[in-house]
Amino acid sequence: MEATETVRDRDRDRHRSPEATPGVICSELDIVYTVFGARKKATTTEGEQPWLERFLRQRRQVDTGNVRKVHAVKGVSFVARHGEAVGIIGRNGSGKSTLLRAIAGLIPPSGGRAWAAGRPALLGVNAVLLTGLTGSRNVMIGGLALGLSPREVRARYDDIVEFSGIGDFVDLPMSAYSSGMGARLRFAISTAATPDILMIDEALATGDAEFQARSRERIAEIREQAGTVFLVSHSNAAIRESCDRVLWMDQGRLIMDGPTEDVVSAYEASHRKGGR
Amino acid sequence: MSSVSTEPEILSPTETLVDVTSMPTPPPLSPEECAELARSAGLSELGVRPHRRHYLREIWEFRHLVWHLSSAQAYATNQNNHLGQLWAVINPLLLVGSYYLIFGLLLKTRGGTENYIAFLTVGIFVFGYSASAIIAGARAVTANIGLVRALRFPRAILPMSVTLTQLLVSLPAFGVLLVMIPLTGEPFSWHWLLFGPALVLQTVINLGIAFFLARIVNAARDTANLVPVVIRLARYVSGVFFSITHYAGHGLVSMLLLYQPLAVTMTIGREALMDQYPLTWSSWAAAGIWAVVLGAGGLVFFWRGEGRYGSD
Ligand SMILES: Nc1ncnc2c1ncn2[C@@H]1O[C@H](COP(=O)(O)OP(=O)(O)OP(=O)(O)O)[C@@H](O)[C@H]1O
Ligand SMILES: [Mg+2]
Repeated sequence: MEATETVRDRDRDRHRSPEATPGVICSELDIVYTVFGARKKATTTEGEQPWLERFLRQRRQVDTGNVRKVHAVKGVSFVARHGEAVGIIGRNGSGKSTLLRAIAGLIPPSGGRAWAAGRPALLGVNAVLLTGLTGSRNVMIGGLALGLSPREVRARYDDIVEFSGIGDFVDLPMSAYSSGMGARLRFAISTAATPDILMIDEALATGDAEFQARSRERIAEIREQAGTVFLVSHSNAAIRESCDRVLWMDQGRLIMDGPTEDVVSAYEASHRKGGR
Repeated sequence: MSSVSTEPEILSPTETLVDVTSMPTPPPLSPEECAELARSAGLSELGVRPHRRHYLREIWEFRHLVWHLSSAQAYATNQNNHLGQLWAVINPLLLVGSYYLIFGLLLKTRGGTENYIAFLTVGIFVFGYSASAIIAGARAVTANIGLVRALRFPRAILPMSVTLTQLLVSLPAFGVLLVMIPLTGEPFSWHWLLFGPALVLQTVINLGIAFFLARIVNAARDTANLVPVVIRLARYVSGVFFSITHYAGHGLVSMLLLYQPLAVTMTIGREALMDQYPLTWSSWAAAGIWAVVLGAGGLVFFWRGEGRYGSD
């Protein structure tokens, strides 16, 4: 992909200084979601209850309100440098995706502060892209939203479609894609612009072996160009292969931050201890 | 931090625990050190509102995104049925037919109008565009929260593209309008050309209202439910089916009804297309003033919330 030359590439030597410059800084970052439509009790048993009780319970729910807060990321601090590939691991719901969205500038911090260099591209499992629209429309919209000009997107269009390997399906709405096809297209779009910061949230998991190999190459290329890469994955093998540093999240807190091998083995040891 | 600690913390993400006490964590930098490092490395802070001039430049840089989002979404609106884009024309025609039956033949609100069908058609189509743009604009941020949480762009793009989408969706209806008007017996005239500028003024007014509502609805969801109600009310007092001056006279109430933004856009539309309504300075000036006040005021109001969109 020669077409990935951007203005930013020209000054990449600046990033190659011995003590690499920071790409992302988080300082005591807090993210709190507000959830609407939360209900205290399960609704599945409602049909079997006498109407009076149901009525009373509904009354009570109106009183308590149905807005709740989820404190998804709590006081996370770290500095990631240019050219670094940082893995993020942790159990389901531990706040990994939320942390990524926050450092992509997509969710404003509820507390603490965060800084980032340049334009981040976030690649999520079910993020981006308008599923009612065709793949080619999504290539254009995604490219524009990543800061390319229409001409640049058109120039890269063939590369993007080729890399995604979805062929004639680009003219079908994305709702007709398999999850792997969607993931490939998203990956192709997000990396077309050589982002300063690439964040991958389990987006590679649904791809086949060939795609995973190609995407690993692409990740290496981006790191080479002094970008910062974040990878969220439940596959410890993938983390070991691509990352040199790992953050371990649990219940919204960053509980360990260090070289890949140390953190991943501690994480593996923790399930053995906890899960027997 | 303070905004968080005052909220009661209700849920923790997961209930399982690992023993973390024995694990090493590198000493993190203090907030001041972080800020200093960020400044020296030239990083930009996330979740803060950009400067006003900077914001305008960003919007300008993303202008192509507005266009591509709008055209794609306008096209997708009528895509999932067999007649497809034809519905964009059939729908307004059916609407005119049914309103003519109710208001022209049954309720007889045609007082003071010479060409009631033309009067009604302009009213329905012009108001219809405002109504759909305002209702969709109010949800511009909340309905696109997926996009907000996936891509970084100035959020003012959303009300803009939603308004433009509704304009594009309404264009076939305006085409029908321009074909119908001469059929109802209106003579051709040069001032038909003014229908274009009238549409531009109306679009800016709609956009301004969308800016205001989008931020309000994002902050307080429940208000979104009031918007359609207010619009429905406005439909009956803005002179869609009847001439305000004929039924409400020339008093203060009539002036208020006549010069509110939604009525003014219909007035200038009728002045452009209908022989009975000569061009008047007052209505065009009123439309221009509304466009400037609502457009600029709305953008500033929306910009003040930038950096907080997507937080809940
Ligand atoms: N859009 C949302 N609205 C409200 N709460 C949310 C939202 N997204 C996530 N959460 C909550 O935030 C917490 C962290 O979720 P997050 O998606 O960041 O976890 P994760 O570590 O990515 O999990 P997984 O491994 O399953 O992807 C969870 O408790 C979840 O319920
Ligand atoms: Mg996740």
